Amino acid sequence: MPWLAPLVAMLVVFTIYPLIYNVWLSFHEYAPLKRSLVYVGAENWITLFGDERFWSALSVTLSYFIVLLVVQLVLGMLIALLLDSDIAGFGVLRGLLSLTLVIPPAITGMMFLLIEDPEFGVLTFVLDILGVLDSTTPILATSSTALLGIMLADIWQWTPFMVLIFIAGLRSLPQEPNEAAMLDGASALQILRRITLPMMSKVIAVAVLIRGIDLLRAFDYMFVMTSGGPGTSTYTLSLYAWQQTFSFIKWGYGATISLVGLVIVLLLANLFIYFTRVRW
Amino acid sequence: MANVTYSRVCKNFGSVKVIDELSLEIKDDTFVVLLGASGCGKTTLLRMTAGLETITNGEISINGVRMNEVHPRDRNIAMVFQNYALYPTMSVFENIAFSLEIKKLGREEIKKRVEETAAILNLTDYLHRQPKELSGGQRQRAAMGRAMVRDADVFLFDEPLSNLDAKLRAHMRVEIRQLHDRLKATTIYVTHDQVEAMTMADQIVLMRNGIIEQTASPDELYNRPASKFAADFVGTPSMNFLEGSIESHNGAPCFSNKGLQLPLPPDCPAKAGQAVICGLRPTDLHPDENGPIKGVLRFREKTGAETNLHFSSMDNHLIATTSRDQEIGIGANIAFSIDARRIHLFDKNSERRI
Repeated sequence: MPWLAPLVAMLVVFTIYPLIYNVWLSFHEYAPLKRSLVYVGAENWITLFGDERFWSALSVTLSYFIVLLVVQLVLGMLIALLLDSDIAGFGVLRGLLSLTLVIPPAITGMMFLLIEDPEFGVLTFVLDILGVLDSTTPILATSSTALLGIMLADIWQWTPFMVLIFIAGLRSLPQEPNEAAMLDGASALQILRRITLPMMSKVIAVAVLIRGIDLLRAFDYMFVMTSGGPGTSTYTLSLYAWQQTFSFIKWGYGATISLVGLVIVLLLANLFIYFTRVRW
Repeated sequence: MANVTYSRVCKNFGSVKVIDELSLEIKDDTFVVLLGASGCGKTTLLRMTAGLETITNGEISINGVRMNEVHPRDRNIAMVFQNYALYPTMSVFENIAFSLEIKKLGREEIKKRVEETAAILNLTDYLHRQPKELSGGQRQRAAMGRAMVRDADVFLFDEPLSNLDAKLRAHMRVEIRQLHDRLKATTIYVTHDQVEAMTMADQIVLMRNGIIEQTASPDELYNRPASKFAADFVGTPSMNFLEGSIESHNGAPCFSNKGLQLPLPPDCPAKAGQAVICGLRPTDLHPDENGPIKGVLRFREKTGAETNLHFSSMDNHLIATTSRDQEIGIGANIAFSIDARRIHLFDKNSERRI
């Protein structure tokens, strides 16, 4: 099948070779004095499981993943249901939704860095007025609130993505089952729960999968806003792998961490596909 | 068990008038068919009855209670949609049980009623299946089951058979009608198929451009169509129309068109000299060597039981339906007679029946 050759070549060069190299790298480490990679056996893996910072990064990543997935899913669906009507002006709103998606995440991070600035950030100001947070508490420099501060940026940028997918899904649903349910005596809430959401399940599954994978490799916002701090409170797996690889020049250990990240993504994604019975 | 009354009902979509001051009374337990070509407003009228469309003007009431502002879920109306509208994520059982669950009936009660309904519709073996695993006819029955299981006051059918093949359609016609005879619920059935209307209805409401052309029993609609439109719409092949005038021959009224003279019954209400359209049903034309309608056979159309003879007579194109035994060659001269009582006369200007 010669027509497959270009595709296979691309796949080999950009996916399969790096993957194999990554696995190979996780059994090696860069030796600065020798200026080369040396074989270290399972040392990286053994270190990893005893590394407190790895476990901390894993827990940060999973909290970030779970909280944001739930928030963006629920918020996205609510906004989609709201905007999926023919009220004048909502068309414009639906169009505006895509705006946040064209902003590079690093820029969004910078924006929220300013918004949450302890000196002049508008969010700090508002929270102070509301009495939620004292203006002497810098959001991004306090370990209990730093991750929440980053989550805000992610929610702002990516909830519209959910909304767009859900609106597209809602618009493609047939109207008749809703009408039939109405005549069957169902209330709006019952129709949503028993008819609309089940019909949307495939769309929801796709959105969860795309966003879920994105969230598990979270990097940009932490990198720009907190560099993982304060302490290790916003270090995700990706950021930790980056630090080990490029700041500490521990290529083997960095490769090991990213490999674990990959396994987690594959595992969760496939479990999800299996349990939701999504057929592509 | 309900009377449905429409009084001066109007429906506009923007500037387009779809239903215009329509008034109609549907009596308890009757099977009414709304018949008309696509776009005549029949489905809109049905959806307004169900509450799925707002009413621009006028009033729809069920058992004397104004329905305009009543939410669809509170109207106690069951509807079968054209594309069935089954809940795609539920099994047939769940589809039928849905309305009962909403009513918060007990598990046992629901099971019993769903199974009874399924038995009537021959769906018992398919209760666990998803809608996508059913054939068209089974989906249709599942949709009917969903409507039947409720004790609805009014049943609405929106062209429910239009997606089925001809054989199944004929079968379902009988089933739906038998179902009605058994349930005795007021039924409003929308179709563009005159055969469905004729075979199923107690009363046919023939609609045209948002107004009622004629309300009548199937027999009356066929035998005494109120207008040229009604005469043309019902019957296959369509009625033959000839333009002409009424003349008096020795005191007896007769219809005259070019060289053709057709004697009319003596009590014919048409006045001499009146410009009329004369309607002759193809099935009422009988081959008769001495008949007044003479022509040349142009085309033969065999339908199995009968043969439709297309012939030209004095520049008119006419069709006669004869028995299949008639073997006449193309180009042969033929002649037909008609019972004077079977001649339909319409005023040329108003196109209403005389």
